[in-house]
Amino acid sequence: MTAALAAAFHRDMRPYTLLALVVVAVALVDRGRGYFLSTATAFSVMQLFATYGLVSLGLGLSLLVREFDISTAGMVTLAGAVAVLAGVDNPWLGIAAALAVGLAGGVIQGLIMTYLNLNSVAVTVGGLLTYQGASYVLTGNQSISYPHMSLALALNAPIAGVLSVRSTIVVGVFLLLALVMAYTRIGRDILATGGDRRASTVAGVNTKAIIIGVFAASGVLCALSGAMLSYGLAAASPSALSDVLPPAAAGAIIGGVSLVGGRGRPLGIAAGVLILCVLRSGLNAAGASSHVHDIATGFILLAVAVADAPDLQRRLTEWRLRRREASRSFERISNEAAP
Amino acid sequence: MTTVSDNAPGEASERIGARAVLRRIHLTTAIRLCGATAILAWALATPGFLSRLSIFSMLTSISFVGCVAIGMTFITLSGNIMSLALGATVSAASVVFMTSLGTGVVFAAVIALVFAGALTAIQGALVGFFRANPILVSIAALACILGFADVFTGGQRVYPGGEGFALLRSRPLGIPVETLIFLAAAVIGQLILSTTRLGREVVMTGSNRRASETAGLNTPAAVTWAYAIAGVATALAGILLSARYGSGDMDIGTGYEYRAIAAVLVGGNAIAGGAGSVWRSCVGVTVLAAIEMTVRLRGFSEEWQYFFTGLVVLGVVMLQASGGRR
Repeated sequence: MTAALAAAFHRDMRPYTLLALVVVAVALVDRGRGYFLSTATAFSVMQLFATYGLVSLGLGLSLLVREFDISTAGMVTLAGAVAVLAGVDNPWLGIAAALAVGLAGGVIQGLIMTYLNLNSVAVTVGGLLTYQGASYVLTGNQSISYPHMSLALALNAPIAGVLSVRSTIVVGVFLLLALVMAYTRIGRDILATGGDRRASTVAGVNTKAIIIGVFAASGVLCALSGAMLSYGLAAASPSALSDVLPPAAAGAIIGGVSLVGGRGRPLGIAAGVLILCVLRSGLNAAGASSHVHDIATGFILLAVAVADAPDLQRRLTEWRLRRREASRSFERISNEAAP
Repeated sequence: MTTVSDNAPGEASERIGARAVLRRIHLTTAIRLCGATAILAWALATPGFLSRLSIFSMLTSISFVGCVAIGMTFITLSGNIMSLALGATVSAASVVFMTSLGTGVVFAAVIALVFAGALTAIQGALVGFFRANPILVSIAALACILGFADVFTGGQRVYPGGEGFALLRSRPLGIPVETLIFLAAAVIGQLILSTTRLGREVVMTGSNRRASETAGLNTPAAVTWAYAIAGVATALAGILLSARYGSGDMDIGTGYEYRAIAAVLVGGNAIAGGAGSVWRSCVGVTVLAAIEMTVRLRGFSEEWQYFFTGLVVLGVVMLQASGGRR
């Protein structure tokens, strides 16, 4: 029993166990009224998953190599604007342009941080501001509409009740990346680079290329996400940046990506994002207000940040020792005082 | 702006390559000076840049962003890169200030300052004591602040619960109050940094945490205090902004965290911490405000200012590569 529990909460299994627990918990909150366990809710969960999933995956990949891609949020907006503007005549052209922008942005950032040996947060903050500025310039700081409503409807039309074209593509990308990470040399090299960069370099891994590749992949994933989101909404807007980062980071972290690099899987990230999506739409369907979800996300992130903190064990041991010391001296004093 | 003293921690070991180091420093300093001169020339050559209107507009923008940048400087210097929650903290402080105005303007301001200071200090404690990832903690705090604020305000704008904030919109001696407050905050911030024990502990912790700990510094306390100061400085921006708009809401500070870190980086503070000053951030804020104003006066649409800011930040970050990163 305990062995089974330990296995279920082992780092690699934890996201899936948590996902199951969250589904059960939300179903209990719903108390069988049928709002939660319905195809409609499942569909909305998958739509949310399609919105956040790829951003979380991109951010998660950068965490895997022990970097942090803050620019993800900016790329979603920029790619959305590019897709809408370039795809007026032909949607495929818009998608291609958006993906090209994502690829270029990721490669440039990767080149800067590897060849100049710079902190990824600093570079990607610069990237984020540049992307954000570029999307303001492209859209003229207003929401621009995309004149293909039929495309928006087609992207979001239900497939088999639960999926849509948009979420099917996202699920497909997750499966593809899971295969790449599990069965290719690139996947192993990414994990090795995140685990110990210097050792990997010595062992013959081209860590610079891996990092550039990871940021390129992150850019492309966010671009795809942004382009599909804008097509799905038939509009692109330059704002709403800060909304994406918390859920994307939370998804990756809950999905078992380690903050010290080298651990994590795409399917775990998928489970992490699904947990958040189930919480949000489940709580909505069960009648709880949306800020509950924000607070829950925040506390989960905080808990994981502390649980993964390198000095947590040390501080706890320190406090325990100090308490023991204190209680011992207390005993000594009271013993001396007793007779 | 990079001086030799920036590289002080590695000075002994790098003595052999001192000439190479000096040459590199001179190169980056030269690039920075050229860049600053070019921006200055571009700005001054812009018709209307030195007009009363544009100067006052710049002063106001500098003051708001500057307060947050002073706070961010402490976080960056303490070795924790940045906080993504400071923008939301500005908004939260504006809401707290407006709500508690019924108790008098001074008391309301104190409440807002203490509130934001404590809120940010909690994050600092988690980062300092457990070495939790600062970026992640700040993202978590961002989500929590937005969530709780929604419970509290219901997503609505908060109108003043009392009078007296007009004081914060006055112009004694023709200078806007926000500018005076920002200047005072900058002077106090720099004094804390360069003359107090706490300030030096913050810089040393950011420069090399392990060495500071071995030397007997209480690094967790230093980090917590750095965050607390950051929260207080950030709350100043919230108070001033809400006084200016006559209301507080959770959108008032959106984006300020990014503008502040941009100013800190453009000013030439080391992103890895341990080297920098409040002055540099003030220079950074001023440069960004000048770019903003020039872009607007030159007839570019307002959106271009964001784009140029982004490029300048990227450029400055790239210059840090040769400025020495451990």
